[in-house]
Amino acid sequence: MEQFPILSVITYSPLVGAVVLFLWGNAPARAARWIALIASGVSFALSGAMLLAFDPNQASMQFTETFEWLPELGIAYRLGVDGISAPLVGLTTLLTLIAVIASWDPIRYRVREYYITLLLLATGMLGVFVSLDLFLFYIFWEIVLIPMALIIGIWGSANRVYAAVKFFLYTLAGSLLMLVGIVALYQEYFQQTGIRTLNVLELTQGNYSPTFQFWAFLAFFLAFAIKVPMWPFHTWLPDAHVEAPTAGSVILAGVLLKMGGYGFLRFNLPLFPEATQRWAPAIVVLSVIAILYGALMALVQQDFKKLVAYSSVSHMGFVTLGIFALNQQGLSGAMVVMLSHGFVTSALFLIVGVLYERAHTRELAAFGGLARNMPVFAAFFGFFALASLGLPGLSGFVGEFLALLGGFQSYRWAGVLGTTVVIFAAWYMLRVYQRVALVRAPGEPPDPDDPELRVSLAHEVPPVAGGGDVEHHTPDPRTFPDVTWREALTLTPLALLTLWVGVYPLPVLELIELSVRAILAAVTGENM
Amino acid sequence: MPLRLVAPEWSLLVPPLIVLGTIVLLLAIDAVSERTARRFALPLALAGQLLALGSLASIDWGQGATTFGVSYRADWFALVVSLIALVAGILSVLVSAGYTESGLEPGVGLAEYLALLLFSVLGTMVVGAAGDFLVLLLGLEMSAVAVYALTAFARRRLTSVEGALKYFLLGAFASAILIYGMAWIYGLTGSIKLSDIAYTLRTVVIPGQPVDPALLLALLLLAVGLGFKIAAVPFHMWTPDAYQGAPTPVSAYMSVVPKVAGFAAVARILVQGLQPLSDQWAGLLALLALVTMVYGNVVAIAQRDLKRMLGYSAIGHTGYMLAGLAAFTTGLAGDRSVGSVLFYLFAYTFMNIGAFGVIAWLQERGLGTTLDDVAGLAGRAPLAALTMAIFMLSLMGMPPLLGFYAKYYVILALIEAGQLWLAVAIVVMSAVSASFYLRVITQMYFQEPGGTWRPVRTPLLGLGLAVMAAATLALGLVSGPILELAQRWPAALT
Repeated sequence: MEQFPILSVITYSPLVGAVVLFLWGNAPARAARWIALIASGVSFALSGAMLLAFDPNQASMQFTETFEWLPELGIAYRLGVDGISAPLVGLTTLLTLIAVIASWDPIRYRVREYYITLLLLATGMLGVFVSLDLFLFYIFWEIVLIPMALIIGIWGSANRVYAAVKFFLYTLAGSLLMLVGIVALYQEYFQQTGIRTLNVLELTQGNYSPTFQFWAFLAFFLAFAIKVPMWPFHTWLPDAHVEAPTAGSVILAGVLLKMGGYGFLRFNLPLFPEATQRWAPAIVVLSVIAILYGALMALVQQDFKKLVAYSSVSHMGFVTLGIFALNQQGLSGAMVVMLSHGFVTSALFLIVGVLYERAHTRELAAFGGLARNMPVFAAFFGFFALASLGLPGLSGFVGEFLALLGGFQSYRWAGVLGTTVVIFAAWYMLRVYQRVALVRAPGEPPDPDDPELRVSLAHEVPPVAGGGDVEHHTPDPRTFPDVTWREALTLTPLALLTLWVGVYPLPVLELIELSVRAILAAVTGENM
Repeated sequence: MPLRLVAPEWSLLVPPLIVLGTIVLLLAIDAVSERTARRFALPLALAGQLLALGSLASIDWGQGATTFGVSYRADWFALVVSLIALVAGILSVLVSAGYTESGLEPGVGLAEYLALLLFSVLGTMVVGAAGDFLVLLLGLEMSAVAVYALTAFARRRLTSVEGALKYFLLGAFASAILIYGMAWIYGLTGSIKLSDIAYTLRTVVIPGQPVDPALLLALLLLAVGLGFKIAAVPFHMWTPDAYQGAPTPVSAYMSVVPKVAGFAAVARILVQGLQPLSDQWAGLLALLALVTMVYGNVVAIAQRDLKRMLGYSAIGHTGYMLAGLAAFTTGLAGDRSVGSVLFYLFAYTFMNIGAFGVIAWLQERGLGTTLDDVAGLAGRAPLAALTMAIFMLSLMGMPPLLGFYAKYYVILALIEAGQLWLAVAIVVMSAVSASFYLRVITQMYFQEPGGTWRPVRTPLLGLGLAVMAAATLALGLVSGPILELAQRWPAALT
């Protein structure tokens, strides 16, 4: 029976939008926005249908499509999703749609080109998650680089070119070694079985020598570790995030980082089980360092966006910790953290974007007291800040708890160290919330009824009209309007998902469970 | 016994003869009326090459027929080389369209320019089909001498003459060394026919035993001579000056077709003639490949002139192709080395002529050839910038562009031959090369435009660029049949 190629349609509908925009040379900005909205909307709707039709009681790949491409080299067009990739496909289409809406007003420069780039990026990311052929996977993996670098480099802020080039070169360097790994794997499998193939599912059946596994694991690992990014490969991330436009940051944090985690789960673990066991302790150490380092760095940032970027490093540390704990809880936790991080950090970047639209700065010192004139904004901000620090009942808690539990089972010290970081997370998140939403705005006269302030009042220089340094450049935060309906529209679905996964994570856990078990069985060699 | 003359099999010679006929026609028209020549030379050159391309289908290449004894071979290898040479020739004529209208100096005929270009294409086709040293040398020189003259075509510009002189002197020197090497081989084996040489060597060279030092000397001389022709380090000195000095369409042509001729000669001489010595030359080529790709890519980083940068990047690509040849292993079933190099040359034709073509396109509009001249191109001419970006990314080896497949096949050949270290070197150098290719894209997309801009119409050049960009974008996806064609070469070498 000829099946409807739903994965191809999900993957290529953004591309179709991009091609339409490309051919329509003088498309007005309005039309460009609408075409992008329709293209990403179709992709999103279909991925929703795909998730509903997905059978969680089946560990094998679903909605598979196969089409011979370069048969002599064992390369075919193979698509399919399992419990690992299906939720990530859903996350990608959702965040793409949100990115399209979030760029509606802020992007006013070369709008048509912007949406072409964004839609190409979407196709690349979706292709990464649905490919079951290493060659195809690699193509999509590299395609993602170009539009992302363009989005940072053209529509970013002051230091954008540096950040774009750094991002590009860093990730390219990582992935090129993976290419050698892919070809070496292909050759190794051919020598063993006499079959030329790059089918991931077939290659996982191979039995590779420990030495080969050791090096091939490393070649794949580097590519994914840079993408995640793990400490010490993370240095491109703060730059890229700070310079990227809001939607770029959303995609970068929400989806691109997940490509690394996904790569570990799909390739490193099942392909090289023995090497995974050998490398796992070292990677757990790196993960714990990332968790600690990200949190400590977030604590001292003066730039709001950089703070969120470093918190990402910390959160992604939980992902790698969970994965390389190599147990059921750890892997499930890693998956949930990836999804949760996709909702929450993307939302936090949207929140930074909301502020940037009004103040044209991200310096924390420029804000204060926003809860007064932006109550809806403050509510959203507070909600996502709490979700980010891992408040029980919200999605971040579920994932981090499971990941830490897994980590604790395998490496007690890692679990202990990782857990302490939750305190730091609360510290930096609440601090930034206080700075932005609660304390008085710069230049605002102190409240004479405040007993704490009365003491220092005598020594303080009286506020001059147009007072502090910051105020020369930035408008008064007391005049900021609250979130627009479009901004609220981008934040609401993320808030609902965060709440849903936090309160009732069972459907998500069920969705991923069998696939996680299959991976674990491949690594530990035990039967399910 | 009376001497019997065997009539040559003319039907095998149809494609090169069509090219030759076109050249004669071009020069004849030019001699009769220069005005007519100016009007019809370009379409004629295009039509002649297209006809020759079409006539390739008239020959049954699978038979591996030979004529003039075994001096001229119509095998798969010859087919692929002819195909690449003709495609490159057609694209180069298209790229030359703007230059020949506005850039030619008074008194220098368009017909001469095109005739020289076609001579070089013809020479390359002959190298591809060569069955002995003499035919090979004839083709190689025909290809090279025409390009020396083309390099000096902007004869009033000092850099053009300087580049041509360097190219000519070093090229002539290299030819002498090459011929000296051939003479040694002739002296040792008693034949100039590639098949006879291989046959004799097979009886002389015993695996595991030390090889006659005289043979090694001959091999070294051949390698040096051929190294000059393909611009491998340390025999590359002429390349950057020649590329920068020559008129841009000539640089486009010169970066590809003489390289095709050079690699065809390398494959014919080493893989076919000196196959029994493959253990010796494969190691030599691997070393040359490594030095060449590292030098080309690293030095390209420092360049600010785009043509010079592409000159060094061309050296880098020579390194990748040499690596592909170094993957040759005697007796490996389904050897991919030569096939991967032929595919690389095919891919390289589109992306490199394309990259030079965009520079020619910019020059038509009054801009120079430095990095600053492409600044802000994306805002000024989005399609040209997109085209250039495609070529740069393809040269970098980004999927799904043609250059990625080319690199992939070379890496595949290397890993199948067990030469993992060269494969790693290729990807590391690709990462290095990204830094300078990316700089062009950064300039075009992230900077504001400068310089004066003179809008003109260049339809033929535009058509050529569109064809090359489309090929670079799409041909990779259907690269299977092309690769399969390129893989059929072993059948030719019996």
